[in-house]
This record gives sequence, structure tokens and C-alpha cells, in this order.
Amino acid sequence: MTSTVIWTIVILTVLGLLLALILFWVARKFKVEEDPRIDEVEKVMPGANCGGCGFAGCRAFADAAVKAPNLDAQYCPVGGNDVMKKVAAILGLEVKEKAPQVAVVRCNGSCENRPRTNVYDGVASCRVKAALYSGDTGCAFGCLGCGDCVSACQFGAISMDPATGLPVVDEEKCTACGACAKACPKHIIELRNKGPRGMRVYVSCVNKDKGPAARKACAAACIGCGICVKTCTHDAIVLEDNVAYIDYGKCRLCRECEAMCPTGAIHGVNFPKELDKDAVKARIAERQKKAREAAAAAEPVAVKPAAEPLKKEENNG
Amino acid sequence: MSLMRDVVIALMPAVIVSVLFYGWSELLILAVSVASCVLLEWAITKWLLKKPCTVGDLSAVVTGLLLAMNLPSTTPWWVVVIGAVMAIGVAKMTFGGLGQNIFNPAITARVFLLISFPAIMTDWTVPQGFIQNVDAVSGATLLGIAGEKGALAVADVDMLNTFLLNIGGSAGEISALALLAGWVYLLVRKVIKPWITLSIFGTVAVIAAIFHLCNPEMFTGPVFNLLTGGIILGACFMATDYVTSPMSNWGGVVYGVGIGIVVMMIRYFGSYPEGMSFAILIMNCVVPLLNRWFHQRKYGRA
Amino acid sequence: MASKITFSIGGVHPADNKIARGRAIEVLPLPKTVYVSMAQHLGAPAKPLVAAGDSVRTGQVIAEPGGFISAFVHSPVTGTVKSIAPRKDLAGNLVTHIEIAVADEEVWAEGIDLTPGLVTELPSDVPAMLERIKANGVVGLGGATFPTHVKLNPGPNAHPECLILNGAECEPFLTSDFRIMVERPKEIVVGAAIMQKILGGCKCVIGIEENKPEAIEAMGKAVAELGYQGISVQPLKKRYPQGGEKQLIDAVMHRQVKSGALPISVGAVVQNVATSLAVYEAVQKNRPLITNTLTVTGDCLPVEKQHNYLFRIGVPLSFIAEYAGGIPEGAAKLVSGGPMMGRAIANIDACTVKGSSSILYLSEALTKRKPESNCIRCGKCADACPMGLEPFLLNRLYKAGDLGQLEDNAAQDCIECGCCLYSCPANIPLLDNIRQAKGQVMGVIRARAAAAKAAAEAAKNQ
Repeated sequence: MTSTVIWTIVILTVLGLLLALILFWVARKFKVEEDPRIDEVEKVMPGANCGGCGFAGCRAFADAAVKAPNLDAQYCPVGGNDVMKKVAAILGLEVKEKAPQVAVVRCNGSCENRPRTNVYDGVASCRVKAALYSGDTGCAFGCLGCGDCVSACQFGAISMDPATGLPVVDEEKCTACGACAKACPKHIIELRNKGPRGMRVYVSCVNKDKGPAARKACAAACIGCGICVKTCTHDAIVLEDNVAYIDYGKCRLCRECEAMCPTGAIHGVNFPKELDKDAVKARIAERQKKAREAAAAAEPVAVKPAAEPLKKEENNG
Repeated sequence: MSLMRDVVIALMPAVIVSVLFYGWSELLILAVSVASCVLLEWAITKWLLKKPCTVGDLSAVVTGLLLAMNLPSTTPWWVVVIGAVMAIGVAKMTFGGLGQNIFNPAITARVFLLISFPAIMTDWTVPQGFIQNVDAVSGATLLGIAGEKGALAVADVDMLNTFLLNIGGSAGEISALALLAGWVYLLVRKVIKPWITLSIFGTVAVIAAIFHLCNPEMFTGPVFNLLTGGIILGACFMATDYVTSPMSNWGGVVYGVGIGIVVMMIRYFGSYPEGMSFAILIMNCVVPLLNRWFHQRKYGRA
Repeated sequence: MASKITFSIGGVHPADNKIARGRAIEVLPLPKTVYVSMAQHLGAPAKPLVAAGDSVRTGQVIAEPGGFISAFVHSPVTGTVKSIAPRKDLAGNLVTHIEIAVADEEVWAEGIDLTPGLVTELPSDVPAMLERIKANGVVGLGGATFPTHVKLNPGPNAHPECLILNGAECEPFLTSDFRIMVERPKEIVVGAAIMQKILGGCKCVIGIEENKPEAIEAMGKAVAELGYQGISVQPLKKRYPQGGEKQLIDAVMHRQVKSGALPISVGAVVQNVATSLAVYEAVQKNRPLITNTLTVTGDCLPVEKQHNYLFRIGVPLSFIAEYAGGIPEGAAKLVSGGPMMGRAIANIDACTVKGSSSILYLSEALTKRKPESNCIRCGKCADACPMGLEPFLLNRLYKAGDLGQLEDNAAQDCIECGCCLYSCPANIPLLDNIRQAKGQVMGVIRARAAAAKAAAEAAKNQ
């Protein structure tokens, strides 16, 4: 009996020691040398592994950050400037601060604005729907409403509004990782600067149809009339393929374009006050009148509206 | 949905025969088993998973029927309920419900009960049924007798009678004819393919023939082995379960041969007289591998 | 009669519903305006050669090929070009169309033989025949609208052994191919003889499914009467998708085209019977492809309201629907093409193109998607797939986003026939997902090929 116990203990001990030795040898032999800073950087990362930075995950980002000579090509949109500062501190590098961004849905084709022309009965996936046809409305560019962006969002920041059938971004939760923009087959979601206190102005339409066709498909479409371009005093709006686009880098949030837009395609959000369209229109009219008077005083010929394109041609020539 | 309805229809002959011969107690087991399986699935989808209810697909009914047919007719109702919890709760819903489980739910439950309640699960007393059979062998199954006393003890059993009615054993094992009728129905309706079932029968027959020829006193013969125990129920209805069997024809054949080998090894050399449930459960584990190895013949890639 | 044969892998047996089979082809009148699409064929869109205000004659060239794989487009009517502008096709996507106001009197362009007689004597000059097929804008009318002159000119290294004429018409409901085989079998056979000659005198097999005995008889009679060498009619067992190019080659020649290869690699050239008719008209009569046959049918349309029309290309679908008696009540879905592979008509104002084959009114019972449930791995989709793929597996891999495994499991071989979707008891949208997967895998394969080509160029330049 006793000998059995003793033998058991001896054999188990020897076996344990042997295995420990083998493990030790294997660990030594196959050890991968890694920069310890990768672990450190990874620790300060948000850990969402969303891929918004363009790398496969936070670990891959950290790995690339440690190897890179500077941090110009790397930015974690989820962690923002705070995390990037920490990363820079660990690596002893400089970081370029970026303005915080947010996902913006550039379609206002609610059920009310954009009447349905047919019924879609297929798979509830925008990608599948877009591959089949132009969609269940007259607009071939707008939101398809199947919520690929919702399922792409890891942060629960997008939800479909059942009333409008359009996705709504929760600005608190949105990290601007860009997953929704990539998931959208119609490319209606754009990452835009959040703006001071969240205030921003954007064109909520990407319809490239000509004015009448766009208007027929959707009451809130951008019809490419160009009034906003003429109104803007900051040169922030361009008109391309019958759609206006506001450059958020140049926009000064004066909201004049929003007031002038005939279809309401331009949206200003998070402004403390409601836009008084009539007042802004009056202000613009006043300014234009003054400008005309000034121009008339300087050069009477230029008053005629027809002279304008002529003048442009001269300039070009 | 229509597939599961066909399976329920196919099981009906065997269910009716078992009720006729085992009487009210069998009817009670069937009712308790089906009801508890369906109720459990409904409750789990509603309160635990919070998903749309999947009871309508009838798969819980099939599981309930198969479970009941795998139990002796004397099983107390609460054991049946425990079996249902095991089948639906553990073997099916924990894996994500229909189509996701690795092991056949009814078999898992039966094996669990067999190990947990060995006395109840091997009580082969023949209760009063609606139809009396004078030749009824009570107390032990033919396989049980063969296991204990050797092949000679069952050498003079009338095999035709066993084919038609085999009183003693699980409820569903009572009539080979009724089970095969259901199987043929499934084949005709193109619900299942015959390869798995045939390869099980073939393997069992071949192994039994070899051993029987070597030593007829110790090992029972092929006909006896095919007609007794759960071979027919298992091969026709349990091993052919879509979810837990290989998808390709050749994968199915390998799977069937595997079941045949395991069941015969348990019968001849194991401590249990019957091993169909264990055999199916063991081969269930191999199915993902078989699905990886055996693929469809692709066009233009031969 | 030879024994009935079919393809070897998969396939399904939908009810054939050829309700309009007894309706003879009628000539559709002209609307006030037609819109001729510039993207009526596979490949690069055609480039318009006319401008707004031009007057055009019937059969006059109005657009030239926009690339090697492209085709001429002819004016289907006599009239005045009103505009050249983007217009929505039947899927609602914008395509350049030439709008032509139809004049009262029809004047045909010069050089077109309008006499009704059958010309059975074949021209001797092969390049001239190919040139005529090209100049008259003939494209494959079996569905893919691949330019026929390209397909009939497989290059000096190819060895065409068998021209297969596709008269399978395996899609349920459609009867246009059936009608032309019954009504114009001789023209089709002459067309086949022309293509046979162009391909260097290979044999020709006309494959027709057994549910069209009248067509088998009519074609057989035409073959016997005309007496061209090496043309035979082969009855085929009814099975979908028999009319798929790869399936038909398997059925007729018992050969399988390798993945990614063209049919000519096994010596096969497949042409639809309607294409053969167009080839006949182009070569023997110098008539451009401006007409085709179309079936107006559906399960919610009484047989007396079903029609087979000879239509001019560019006629709006809404005009045809109106002429045939309006959209029936109970029509839940309008489809152009067959119920298995056709495309839903999202825009009824869209216009017919060269490859239009039907307006199909389907009831809700036939088209409504049933709620999806879990895959129970029954393997019915794998049994049904005519390419021998495993749709359940591809569906799972697509959801997991595993492009490497998708390619290994041949997602790119999918022919989008819809057998998997048709056979799935759990109503899983297999086809929709696999089509996406196929697109992604094809993208990867193309990118890899482009990269390899660029690397080879770079190596050459160094």
C-alpha cells in the first residue's frame, strides 16, 4: 500500500519535471521577438477592432504604428485625438490632430417625399437589392432602406426610422469608423466634420438626374438648380452631375444656402435656433441689391444680367 | 415544414402499431413526449432566445415522437419530461435550434436516460395492450437474452414473427414492417435518400455473417441482428436525420458503414446488449469531417 | 427518333406552363414613338451615329459598335430622331436611348430584301457571311445577347466540332422559340446551315425538349426536306436548366466545359434557334435584327388573352401590355424573360430590346417570398444545382465573408439558374446571396489576373 503511494508520487513528480523541461525548451525555441510597445499601444486602443483605421484590427494598427516612422498615415477614428495622443506619447512621435467626424446620411427620400413605384419582396439587403435593380422608388440614387448600414455598425449608432424608412445616425454613439459608408452600395453615407457644437450644413441628396426627373422621383431632391452655389459667399459649394456638394472645410455655417434651396435638400443640423428663412432671404436680397448698385455705379453696362456670362468669357479668354 | 410533415406521416404506422400493442401507457408516453418537446421549444424561443417561434416547423413534434418511440412503454411520465428537456433544451436549442445541432436530439435524450435511469430504461415488461399476443416474450428483449446466454438461446426464434411483431423492447422497435413502410414512404416522397439506411443494413449484415460463420454458438446471425433492437428504427429515422447526417451520398455511405461497425462491436463485445443509439451518437461527431471530405461532383472540374 | 437524353448533374422539374403554345405569332403594330437602347447586347454600349432631327429609315444603321464585343443597332422604324438621352431600362437604371417618332409611311433602307421567298442556296464567301451577320447587328437571342459574329469566329486555333442549336426553351411559360420552330422551321434550318458553313462544316444538332413534339416534328421535317448535310434534331428530356449553354453541351455532346473556359474548348458552339433565324435573315435577306418574337403570358392571364408577338425593337413594354389587353388583375409581379431567370420589370415604360422574350404576369401565389427558416442541411439545393455546387455551403461562406473558401468551392461557376432557390424547403434566398458571392469572387479573380498581367508587362519592359 505504502509503496504504491510512494511510487505514484515519484512517477508523477518525474513526469511533471520532464514535461516542464520540454515546455521550457519549446517556449525558448519558438519564442517570437516582438516589440513590447505593440502591447502597450494596443492597450490604449479602443479595442473595437472595427477596421475604421484601415487596418485589420487594433493589434494590426498598433503593429503598424510601432513600425511607422511617423503617425501621418494612421488615425484611429474611434479613439479620436485622445487615443492618438496616448499612442504618440508611447512611441515618442507627433500626432496631427483631426477634427472629429460623424457619419451623415445624404438622402431625404422618406416615404412622403419619395413615393414608392413598386414593391420589393427580395432579400432584406441593400447590396442584393442594388444588384437587382434601381430600387422601389423613382430615384436610382437614394437610400434603399434595407439597413445594410445598420448591420455594419458595431457601435449601435445607426437605426432605421420606421416613419421615414431612412437610417438615423446617433451622433453620441457614432465613432466615424466609416463601416456604414463602406456598406452602403449607393454611397449616400459620408463622413463629415462634426462642426462646432455639432453644427453643420450639408446637401441631403445624391441624385444625379436632371432637375425635372429628380423632382419627379422625390420632393426633397437636389435638382441641381445652382441657386446655393450662387448664394454662397464662401465658395464652399460645387455643382457636379446635377448635385450640389458642400465642402465642409470651407463652409462657414451661415445657412444662406439652406434658406434659398427650393426643395429643402440642404439641411442644417444642431443649430440652437430655428432657421428664419424669410429673414435670411431678405438679407441676401438686400446684399445682392447693394452689390448691383455698387456695380452699376462703377460700370453701368454690367448691370444687365445677360452681360455676366459675356464677362466670364472675356476673363477666360 | 412539408418535409417534417412527411416524417410525421412516415412514423404513423409504427406509432399506431405500438399503441395497439402497448395500450394506454404508450399513448400517454407519446402524448407527454410530444407535448413537452413542443412546449419547451415554444418557451425557449419566447423567453430565452426572444426569437420568432419555430414550433410551426414540426421538428419538435418529430423529436417528441422519436423520443417516445425510443423508450420502453413502462417509462414513468416524469422521465419522459426529463428526456424532452435533454432533447430540446440541451441537444437542440443550446446549439441554436433547428439545423444547428451536432447530435440527434432524440438519441441524445435516450442515451442520457439510459445512463441515468438504467433500471427504468431496461424494464421490458409487456403491459396490457389493445391486442394481445400470446407469443409475447416478456422481461427481456431477444438481444438481452442473446447477450447474456449466447446465440444458441435465441436460435429457434421465429424470424418472420420478429419481422412482423417483436414484442419486448422500445415502443418503436415493435414492428419492423411498420417502420420499413414509413421508410419507403419517405423514399417515395423523396424526403430522404436510401444510401445511409442501406449502408447500415449492409454493414450489419456483413459483419454479423462473418462472425456468425466463424462461431455460430457465440455470435448471432445477420437476420437476427437486422430484425432485433433499434437497428431499423435507427437506420430509417434517426441516422437519416438531415441535420446530423452527411450531405453527400458518399459521405452518407461512410457514415452508415461507421454506424454499422460500431453497433455490431457494441452488440458482440460491449456490456450493453444494444448499441444503436451510441453508434449514431458517435458517428454524429464525424459528420462535419465527412462534409469536408466528400463534396458534390462539380461540373467541369472532374 | 434518337433516344431522349439530358444533362448529367442536378436540375429541377418545374411545371412547364406553356399556356401560350397554341397562339400563333401575330405582328404587333407600331406605337407613335420608339426608344432604341444602346445597351442591347453584352459588351460595350453602341455609339449613336444619328443626331436629333435626323430622319431615319427602317433598317438604317443608327449606332455603331462601341468596342470589339459590341454590335450595330438599326432603326426599327421610319421616322425622325427626337432625342438621344438617358432613359430608364426595365430595372430602372439609366441607359442611353435614341427616341424616334414613327412616321406614317414606312420606307426601308436600301439593300434589304423584303421578298417573302425562302432562299436555300448558301453563299460561298465565309468572311462575307460573317460581315453580314455583324453589319446586321445579330446577337444571341437566348438570353445573354452575346454578339453572334464574335461567337462564330472563334479564332484559328479553335476546332469547332458541333454546332448546337438551342431549342430547349426550358424556362416555364415562354413559347416564342416554340412558335418560331413550328412556324418558320425552314428559315431556322437554313440559318443553322449558314453557321455550320462559317464554322468550317462541323455537324449540327438541334436540341429540343420533349414537351414540344410539334416543334420536334416540324424541325425534323424541315431538316429532311432541305437536305443539308450533318444536321439532326435531338429530342431532350424535359429538365430545367437544359437551355443553359453548359448543360446543353453536356446533354448533347457528353462533354463538360472546364471552369472559366469557353464552350469552344470542347469543340462546341451553342446558338439559340431565334439567333439562327436572325442569321438567316441577315445573310440571305440582308435584313438587320430589328424584330424578335415575344410571349405575353402568365398564370393569371386567360389563354385567349395570351399572345406571341413579332415586335419591333424599341417598342415600350407598356404599349405591348396595353395592346394585349392591359395588365390583368391579380398580377403581383411583371417579369421580362422566364420565371426562373427573368428579371422583374420595375419600370413598365421601359422598351423592348433585341433579347426581349416575354412579358410575364405572375400571381402572388407564384412569386411571393415565403418566410425564411433555418437551414436543416437537407442537401436538396446541392442535388438540384446543375453545376454540382453546394449552395448551402456557399451561402454560409458568403455570410462569413470567406472569399478564399468561396473560390475554392467554385462560387464563380454559378450560372444563376435559380435551381437552389427553387428547391430549398426553408425558403433561404440562396441565389441572391450566391450571386453576390460570385460577384465578389469574380472581382478577386479579375484583380488577380490584372495584377499578374501588369507584373508580366513590367517584367517584359525591364
